[in-house]
Amino acid sequence: MSDKRVAQQVADELIDVPPSSAISLQMSVDHYLDVLRGVLDLFASRKEADVIYVTSTISFEAIKRVMEALDIDTSRVYFVDCISHIMMGASSGQTDEHTTLVESPTMLENVMLKVEYLIRLSEAKDKIVVIDSINSLAIHNNNWILSEFLHILVSGLRVRDVYTIILSVEEHSTPEINNMVNLVCDQGIRTGQKED
Amino acid sequence: MAKRSGERARCVTGIEGFDTVLYGGIPRSNTVLLTGSCGTGKTSLALEFLIHGATKGENSLFVSVTENSDKMLANIIPYNFFTDDLVESGKLVFVDLPVMYERLGMTKAELSMEEIDLLVTAIASLARELGTKRLVIDSITSVCYKLKTSEKIRDFVLKLSKALTDIDCTSILVSEVAAQSDSYSMFGVEEAISDGIVLMANMERRGDLLRTLQVIKMRGTMHSRAKYVLDLTPEGVLLVPLLKGGSTRA
Repeated sequence: MSDKRVAQQVADELIDVPPSSAISLQMSVDHYLDVLRGVLDLFASRKEADVIYVTSTISFEAIKRVMEALDIDTSRVYFVDCISHIMMGASSGQTDEHTTLVESPTMLENVMLKVEYLIRLSEAKDKIVVIDSINSLAIHNNNWILSEFLHILVSGLRVRDVYTIILSVEEHSTPEINNMVNLVCDQGIRTGQKED
Repeated sequence: MAKRSGERARCVTGIEGFDTVLYGGIPRSNTVLLTGSCGTGKTSLALEFLIHGATKGENSLFVSVTENSDKMLANIIPYNFFTDDLVESGKLVFVDLPVMYERLGMTKAELSMEEIDLLVTAIASLARELGTKRLVIDSITSVCYKLKTSEKIRDFVLKLSKALTDIDCTSILVSEVAAQSDSYSMFGVEEAISDGIVLMANMERRGDLLRTLQVIKMRGTMHSRAKYVLDLTPEGVLLVPLLKGGSTRA
C-alpha cells in the first residue's frame, strides 16, 4: 500500500467517528509517519480540533520537526512530552506554550494531569488526545498500572466528549498489550500491515 | 429510593476534584486541618479555596502567619481566575498576624490564656466585621509555637473553631508536619479537635516524587478515603486518582 493511501485510509476510517470515541490504531513501523499525517490532517486541519499529543516514543522536538517536514500544520498540536526530561540533555528541553514536559513516562498520573490541564485551556469545540505509543509506555510501566491508566484516562475523556487515539506498533505489540487496548477502545483500526 | 435526610449545607470549594472527593464540598462552617510537609501545595490549595469563594461573592479572609502576605502572593502560582479586583473590592482580604500581635501588644514569646482569648476575639471580630464566609490561617502551627502547651493549643483551636462556626464561616487551618511524620499535626492536638483533616504529602514511587492528597476525616459528609495525585497549575489544583497497579507502598 502506498504511503499516501495509508494516510487516506486512516482519515477515511476516522472521519465519521463520533466525539468521545476511543480508537486503537495499530500500524506497521514503516507506516508510522503516514498514520500520523492521516490523523493530524483530519483532526487538526479539517476538523479544526485541538490535538493533545502525548509522546513517550521520541521527543516533541523530533516529532515536531518530522511534522513540519511533512507539511503538517502544528499550530493546533499541544505536546505532553514524557521522554525529553529523562534524556538528560539530549533534547534541548526548551518548551513553549505548546509543550508540557512530564519528568518520566512512569509518572502516568502526571500525564493525566497535564492532559486535563490542556483540555481546560483548549477553546476548540473538538479535542483529541493521541497516545504515542502504548508500546513505548509499556517499556517503562507494568501492564497492571498501564491498564489502570488507560481505563481512567479514556473514561475521563469520554465524559468530556474528547476523542482518544491510542497508537501501537504491530511489530512491538504483545497479546497482553493488544488486550489492554481493546478493553478500553470502541474500535480498532489496523493499517499499513506488512504483506506476507 | 428515599432521599438522604440531614444532609449538611456545603461550602463548595470550587476545586473540582476536591469537591468530588468530598461528595460536594466541605460541610458549611466546618474547621478543616489542611496538613502536610513543606512543598506539598497546602498554601496554593488554601488560597484557591478563598479565590473561588470571593469570585462567588463570599467574603474571604487569609490570615498569614509565617510570611508577609505580599511575599506569599508573589510566590504563589499565577491563577488564571485570580483578578486584582477581588482584593480591591474587599471580597478577598489578606491580614498578617504578626501585625495583629503587635497591635494587641502580644510581644512575648508565649501567649497567656488571657491573650489567647484576646487573639480569638480579635480574629473572630475581624471575620464578623468583614462578613467572612471563608477563612484560612496559614499556618496554625506557627500560632501554636506561641502557645507552647497542649492545653493552650486545645483551648485556642476550640474557641476559634466555635467562634467561626457561630458566624457560619468555613475555615481551613494550615498545619505543617515533618516529612516522615505519622501524626497529622506538629503538636498532636489540632488534629483531634478539627472537623476535618486533609493530608497533603509527597509520595515516592520507584524514584518518582508525586504530590498527593487524601481526606482522612470530614465530619458531616461521606467522603472518599482514597489517595489522589495533584498538580498545581494556573487553572488551579487538579486531581487524579493514584494508580495502584505499580505502587510499591501502601
